[in-house]
Amino acid sequence: MKRSVLLLSFIKRAATSVLILFLTVSFLFVLVRIAPGDPSLKYLSPNLSPQLIEKVKSSFQLDKPISKQYFSFLENAFTGDFGISYKYHRPVSEVIYEVLPFTIFFSLLAFTLQFICGLLLAFWAFHHHKKLLDKFLSSGSIFLYAVPSFVSGVFLIYLFSVQLKLFPSSGVKTVGSLEANFFFLAFDYLYHLFLPVVVLALTGLPVYFKYFRESFEENQQKLYTVYLRANGVSEKRIYLRHIIPNSLNSIIAYAGVDLGILFSGALITEVVFSLPGMGRLAVNAIFERDYPLIVGCTLTAGLLVILTNLFADLIRMKIDKRLVKGLLN
Amino acid sequence: MSITRKNIPLYFLLLVSIFVGCKKDSPPNSSQVVIAIPSDVEGLNPLFSFSINEANINELLFLSLVKHSWDEKAGDLITEPMLAKFWEWNNDSSSITLDLRNDVQWSDGVPLTIDDVIFSFDVYSDPAVESYLYGSFIPFYTDKDNHIIAEKTFEKVSDTKLKISFVSGSSPSLFNLDFPIVPKHIFDKIPRKEIATSKESFNPVTSGPFVFEKWEKNQAIIIKENPKSFLHKDGNIGRIIFKVIPDYNARLTQLKNGEVDLAEYLKPEDVDELKKSDAFIVSSLKGREYDYLGWNNLDKEKFKKNKSITPNKLFGSAKVRQALSMALNRNEVVSSYLRGYGELASSPISPIFKNSVNESLIPYTFDLEKAKALLAEEGWKDKDRNGILEKNGEEFKFTLTISSNNPRRIFAAALFKNTIKQLGVEMNVEQVELGMLIDKINTKSADAWMASWIIPIPLDLKFSWYSNLATTPMNFPSYQNKELDALLDQLETKISKQQKNELYKKIETILYRDQPVTFLYWIDNVVAYNKKIKNVKVTPLGTVHHCWLWW
Repeated sequence: MKRSVLLLSFIKRAATSVLILFLTVSFLFVLVRIAPGDPSLKYLSPNLSPQLIEKVKSSFQLDKPISKQYFSFLENAFTGDFGISYKYHRPVSEVIYEVLPFTIFFSLLAFTLQFICGLLLAFWAFHHHKKLLDKFLSSGSIFLYAVPSFVSGVFLIYLFSVQLKLFPSSGVKTVGSLEANFFFLAFDYLYHLFLPVVVLALTGLPVYFKYFRESFEENQQKLYTVYLRANGVSEKRIYLRHIIPNSLNSIIAYAGVDLGILFSGALITEVVFSLPGMGRLAVNAIFERDYPLIVGCTLTAGLLVILTNLFADLIRMKIDKRLVKGLLN
Repeated sequence: MSITRKNIPLYFLLLVSIFVGCKKDSPPNSSQVVIAIPSDVEGLNPLFSFSINEANINELLFLSLVKHSWDEKAGDLITEPMLAKFWEWNNDSSSITLDLRNDVQWSDGVPLTIDDVIFSFDVYSDPAVESYLYGSFIPFYTDKDNHIIAEKTFEKVSDTKLKISFVSGSSPSLFNLDFPIVPKHIFDKIPRKEIATSKESFNPVTSGPFVFEKWEKNQAIIIKENPKSFLHKDGNIGRIIFKVIPDYNARLTQLKNGEVDLAEYLKPEDVDELKKSDAFIVSSLKGREYDYLGWNNLDKEKFKKNKSITPNKLFGSAKVRQALSMALNRNEVVSSYLRGYGELASSPISPIFKNSVNESLIPYTFDLEKAKALLAEEGWKDKDRNGILEKNGEEFKFTLTISSNNPRRIFAAALFKNTIKQLGVEMNVEQVELGMLIDKINTKSADAWMASWIIPIPLDLKFSWYSNLATTPMNFPSYQNKELDALLDQLETKISKQQKNELYKKIETILYRDQPVTFLYWIDNVVAYNKKIKNVKVTPLGTVHHCWLWW
């Protein structure tokens, strides 16, 4: 395929993504403002004077028509200014930037764990095709899928934090520690994240297990596998060079979406383990009617989903060149 | 040894043991206290202390002119010196002269002076700043925007003496001076509109018994003792960590685990287990919060149409509201849900105000027969025998709106629905998200709702009971009573404490009689803290109030 055609296809896809983001944000901008709730009443208390309520409404521009607020938002958004968070009194981009590195790191850890464990377990189960272990792992994965993360989270906290006292029950580091050694800090971070990463990974692991397990089975029955076997190619080579790469294709498409969703925040795990992630930030913004932050979080989440999808498609194209045209258009 | 499938579990165990082996607890520090808080603060600038957590932390970081303590015996506040060593009112209380300390420094070493005090009044009342106190400087000389006029108000008598003048005829008190003083040399450089978003609001220069150490966003706020403070005493608490733990069960687990030393708002059902442990002291903070069932006193349809104020067809009559109050089995909630950590309420004045509370008012008792008789007197009868009362062709049906994240109110609503049904009244319960509930109450579009008030100290009733709905947006039930207005106005005149208490009792009697809302019960704030902390005084002013005295 010519490079110019490829470039054009890429631009088309990027333009579609920007349009989707624009429409999502515009829709949300109007939706949150017409929904019931008033950000100026979040400090409701006997000390709140009526004069202050009016001042706050005016400074939040809530006394202006929605259309005016929207155009003012668009004007500022084009310069990269998404407004000031009502709650944090700081630029929305700054507030999001604070939680984003943690969210990405945490999600990547959980994603890697669930992807690799899913693949290994599926491989193991398939290796014991229709034997007891295969049945056990298949049933176990259904059980795990049915357990919500707030249940597994509380259970693991009870077991590992309360009873065995092996891992801390919350936070990302030892609060108030005076230690400044890099290695200690790195270990402390991972030590605190161990349980949350396991909990988050447990929700996705069964899906990857099932995908891989079924893909292996499907590819195993395909003619090319029979042909390879007939030609005396070793089982190891058939798996590593043919079955696994062919199985990856559809899984990577799913993984792209999954990673994007993980980047948008894992609310329940974040709340149970008191983690400072995007999920908690976005949900608190909704509860507190922090309109600029709601829009900022949506935009960031949307952007991440689009980017991870694009990234997943690039990997799929790398694996299978036939997909290039279809995926970019 | 090579990595094979068989020894993968071994490697996993090794990895876990490395993690656990590397675990290093924070240095054991007997003078360090970890306090659990459910949400992070929004900033550390006292100008914007909207939430209780922010107010508590800022009280430890910034000094006020005076401080208030709670006198348990008298059931009243005591004013004590802080930045002001002495004060003297003039004969008609139209001015006060304060003698300020000259040994206080800001944490950056700059001395705290009279100029900081004058600046603080100016900046708190500036409309451009939108401080949490904006609009509340009633007895001061202010311009049309409620901004204090400094030239008329302040007079520097000497380097440490400041005279503050008040509007003649107003009734100022020391409560008008009790707010954290902010540093002029820091905030004077920042345009007033930008103070809230300035970096100085998040990394404060302070003057209190504690100084700011670190803010780990959404994790913890750490403050440490200020050895230069005149409030500092060797051996007292050296460091306080306010640890953000949003989930209730996680807070409880960490308290039991010893990761947290103090937690508030504990559920009564968890108290027994905590009491069994030798490690904790369980205490309760009484009389600051009450639940109420609000009745919309005005016709919501007519109000929505043209803002007209006409009595609600169901709840417009005081007798009907009395009957409904009698049909709610509140005792059941106090005994079954609150498990004794609460008491029935009869008015918005808490029993902790021993001199102001009208003890002759006995909370309405659960009496369905009497309630039926009262409704019959008002013309509500079940003529068509369908189990629901009617009047002028309209059935007694309404919706009670409650917040979906409050188990106590969900429990009470289910109970009240059943008891009120026996009266011939159909009550549907609607659970909504808190923001939506506030919106419904504020726009007066709810029939009835359940919510709570945390009462202000010193007592203030005008904000929620004055008839003028334009100036009293928090009169949510839209109750209007000229007699009550006159009494509330009198409270703002120059009268003695005893006269004030008499007025409070009269106000209570009117509210008790008219039942604009049903005052349900006072709810205790159950607090548990580690026995290692000494000298903790849980008073109505809060748990961490004056915690520089802990050791």
